[in-house]
Amino acid sequence: MSDSPVSKILVLDNDDACQQSIKRFCDENALVPLKVRKNRLMSVLRSNIDLGAILLAEDYGASPEENAEIALRIHTVRPELPIILRRQDAASLDGIPESLRRVFCAAYTAHDMTALRPVLDEYIFSLVYPNALVRGISEITENVLSSQFRTMTTTWNTPYIVRDRVIFGEVFSLIPLESAWCRGYMMLQTEEAPILRLLNAREGDEDAGFRAVNNLLGEITNLIWGAFKNRYVGDSSQHASSQIQVPLIVNHKHKYISFGTENPQLCFLYTLTDEDSGNAIRLYQRFVFNLSWSPEDFTEISPDSSGLVESGELELF
Amino acid sequence: MAKILIVDDSSTVRDEVAGFLKNNGLEVATAVDGKDGLAKMKADPGIKLVISDVNMPNMDGLTMVEKIRGELGNAAVNVIMLTTESSPNMKERGKAAGIKGWIVKPFKGDAVLETFKKLAA
Repeated sequence: MSDSPVSKILVLDNDDACQQSIKRFCDENALVPLKVRKNRLMSVLRSNIDLGAILLAEDYGASPEENAEIALRIHTVRPELPIILRRQDAASLDGIPESLRRVFCAAYTAHDMTALRPVLDEYIFSLVYPNALVRGISEITENVLSSQFRTMTTTWNTPYIVRDRVIFGEVFSLIPLESAWCRGYMMLQTEEAPILRLLNAREGDEDAGFRAVNNLLGEITNLIWGAFKNRYVGDSSQHASSQIQVPLIVNHKHKYISFGTENPQLCFLYTLTDEDSGNAIRLYQRFVFNLSWSPEDFTEISPDSSGLVESGELELF
Repeated sequence: MAKILIVDDSSTVRDEVAGFLKNNGLEVATAVDGKDGLAKMKADPGIKLVISDVNMPNMDGLTMVEKIRGELGNAAVNVIMLTTESSPNMKERGKAAGIKGWIVKPFKGDAVLETFKKLAA
């Protein structure tokens, strides 16, 4: 599995030749293209919470008016997602009505897709994540999940970059990450019912309620945070702390969370499966570095230098 | 029988550790933070081993250990920290307060059971 994050993009394009060009471009640029039927577009937009951008062809709708309506509806439902317009002749938004231009972030053509690369760099891959960090997060999280769900199998997908701000499931946790090279949050999102089923199946937890789910998610968050800190942060008291903060906004009605930044988020999806029953728990893990990000200062603390012992082992004094 | 006190603000951890120790024949009490742990230490002279988290609300684990030593003067009680922290500075502070050992979470009972039994004896 690659340590380099990919990003999922929704391709709204009916032209077969252009679709092939887009597919090739995606393969070469760490993008995963997703297609959708026009009549399912809105339901897909409402249910997919892990998109990076949308590629919309200017002739996707049956008429310019319908295309404009589609673009406006997408922008209304998911304003955080950049919409990149494929045009027939030139990679420019010239000729697009002023009222509509605001919903597009850029334009490209299928016969010269080089214009698309800098747009992706600006809107999706604007933060560079060190491979060692991406790999380490997966390792840390897999270890923690295995310790908490001993009878279940943990798998995870290739990490990906998202611009979505939509919250998955019914319960999420947030914990700040502060170091010399990053400031932000780790967020874990999951559904309540599968965890309740698991807790109820465990001996002695027949009456497990939502507080038990909260406690378990809180402990998982704490364990990942601790391992992250031990591996990548070190002694936090040695770092100059900043007083700068930005408010987080949570809109319950729309299941939307904003961290006060347009920065894309690094996302991991873990699936825990009970091989006997087939029951599965999905856990979305997002990293949002909204306050500072200096990957050039990223360091990994070696066990030798910090005197670490294996987790779970007793270090006697 | 000597008793083990588990101090952790996470009920998940308290339940996991207490369940494991009880299943292995040990008597266990629990506390939800350092303040609660200190109060239970004062009230129960039968506690011989404390397993405590570091980061907790109201009173952290290291402060609790310092108060156990300062207020109770009870050098006979062994203390093990069970925490996500592995900072050398924190370990040094723990050593100065007289803790016996340090475990970085997650808890792996089989790896520490025999030592716990000896320290609680």
